[in-house]
Amino acid sequence: MNLQIENISKVFFHADKVHTVLKNVSFRVQEGQFVSLLGPSGCGKTTLLTIIAGFQTSTGGQVLLNGQEVTKPGPDRGFVFQNYALFPWMTVRENILYPMKRQKMPRLEREARLDNLLTMAQLEGKEHLMPGQLSGGMKQRTAVIRALAGRPEVLLMDEPLGAVDFQMRQILQEELEALWLKDKTTVIMVTHDIDEAIFLSDRVIVMSAQEGEILEDLAVMLPRPRVRKSGLYQGYKEHLTELLQIAQGAKTVNLA
Amino acid sequence: MEAIKDKISVCTAGNLSVMDKPDNSGIEKQKFLHRLGVAIAFLGIWQLASIHYHSNLLLPPPVKTAQRLLMILQDLDVLKNLAITLSRVLTGFLYAIVIGVPLGFLMGYSQKAMQALDPLVGSIRQVPIMAWIPLTIVWFGLGDGPTIFLIAISGVFPLILNTIAGVRGISQDYYHAARSMGAGAWSIFAHVIVPGSLPDILTGARLALGSGWMSVICAEFIATSAGFGYSMVEAQTRMETDKLLALMVMGALVGYVLDRVLQELNKSLVAWRFSKQ
Repeated sequence: MNLQIENISKVFFHADKVHTVLKNVSFRVQEGQFVSLLGPSGCGKTTLLTIIAGFQTSTGGQVLLNGQEVTKPGPDRGFVFQNYALFPWMTVRENILYPMKRQKMPRLEREARLDNLLTMAQLEGKEHLMPGQLSGGMKQRTAVIRALAGRPEVLLMDEPLGAVDFQMRQILQEELEALWLKDKTTVIMVTHDIDEAIFLSDRVIVMSAQEGEILEDLAVMLPRPRVRKSGLYQGYKEHLTELLQIAQGAKTVNLA
Repeated sequence: MEAIKDKISVCTAGNLSVMDKPDNSGIEKQKFLHRLGVAIAFLGIWQLASIHYHSNLLLPPPVKTAQRLLMILQDLDVLKNLAITLSRVLTGFLYAIVIGVPLGFLMGYSQKAMQALDPLVGSIRQVPIMAWIPLTIVWFGLGDGPTIFLIAISGVFPLILNTIAGVRGISQDYYHAARSMGAGAWSIFAHVIVPGSLPDILTGARLALGSGWMSVICAEFIATSAGFGYSMVEAQTRMETDKLLALMVMGALVGYVLDRVLQELNKSLVAWRFSKQ
């Protein structure tokens, strides 16, 4: 797996005004890394993620996955939506089987992988429920293993915990870390939550509200599973808090 | 000790149900009484009016109408005509589905198809349903043809419009999700568009069946010599107003049953909509 983001730009035209969201953004992601895109809202991090996913096209530059240019969505890039986007008309089982069926995985292999994923996400016995009957945490886990089921090269997550409250968020972050430790897929996650970024990532890319400029590409060298109380952890947190203030400030200065 | 515990739990359970139930059934009872009151008032006015006019031709009293209703429910001729009408409704309804749902999918999914077809569909929709009758008699002659056509044309528009609304209501995320899991065009259609719009299609089907049932009776007044509507015209020409009123009540009952059947079908087909925690 080798993902290259090369000089990506994105420009929107809105009411005769040109609005530059991303300008010449470049970085590379290596196999097995958990990378977070952190930035204030409006910094273009979700736009960048959806360009990598192929849901929208960039105005300039290219995304290369194993040397191949990305032009449209594909099963090599799994996606976890902020609202999970589980098909409400399918059971948990059918949802997870869906990507495997699309890729013509043989039946036996499919069933074995399904069992495996259900165990990994502690969803045994829930496979015949409809998504509407699941709790928030179960929905999130189902969405993650559904995205993993088709064995994507990279997993893209758009604020997967954006819609839950603080208490629940910490619990789900731990679940997410545990899940990732069992299946070390390459991950790119969009978040605006500093704590979440440090807790989960090997690497945090901080984007500025100003044209998505990369302010810092920070490696998080903490042992896993992560412990929030450690001094090092707090050090990262303080550093990123300061950085995010700059990221936000850039915008205000420019507007004034 | 265990026995006492059991008793206590039984007591609390008993208390709970005593506290819960009267509240709820009280409201139900009140609702029922209100409805009963309105029904009695309606029948009372009907009774008074029939005494006032004192004519079985103008307005037979409720009791006489009810007796007649019981009679026609066992009248083979009426039942045969009802069966003819229902089979027309079903045939016309099927035509409406076969034409309306695919058109709705096309117009809901493709902006180009929408732009091209919308003016035509919108214009034809404005032709009053009954205005089709003379033309359909010219086309099909008297009999099944005009009635089936009328049911189909009255049902096709609610189906088209609701299918369009259903397809357009599907979140973009579902399309993105399916494509990012390797879905092709067929899977997008079969696993996203069809199930995602099914609740609205079924709403359209309910409206279509309802309007089909209403318009078929009208068509049968004019364009045929059999069917439920024809039975009504027959009762009218024989000056059997009590039978006419009984047939009207029966018409309402059949319409109600048809609607309930589709409502239940709706619930079982899109159970996921009702499976909230």
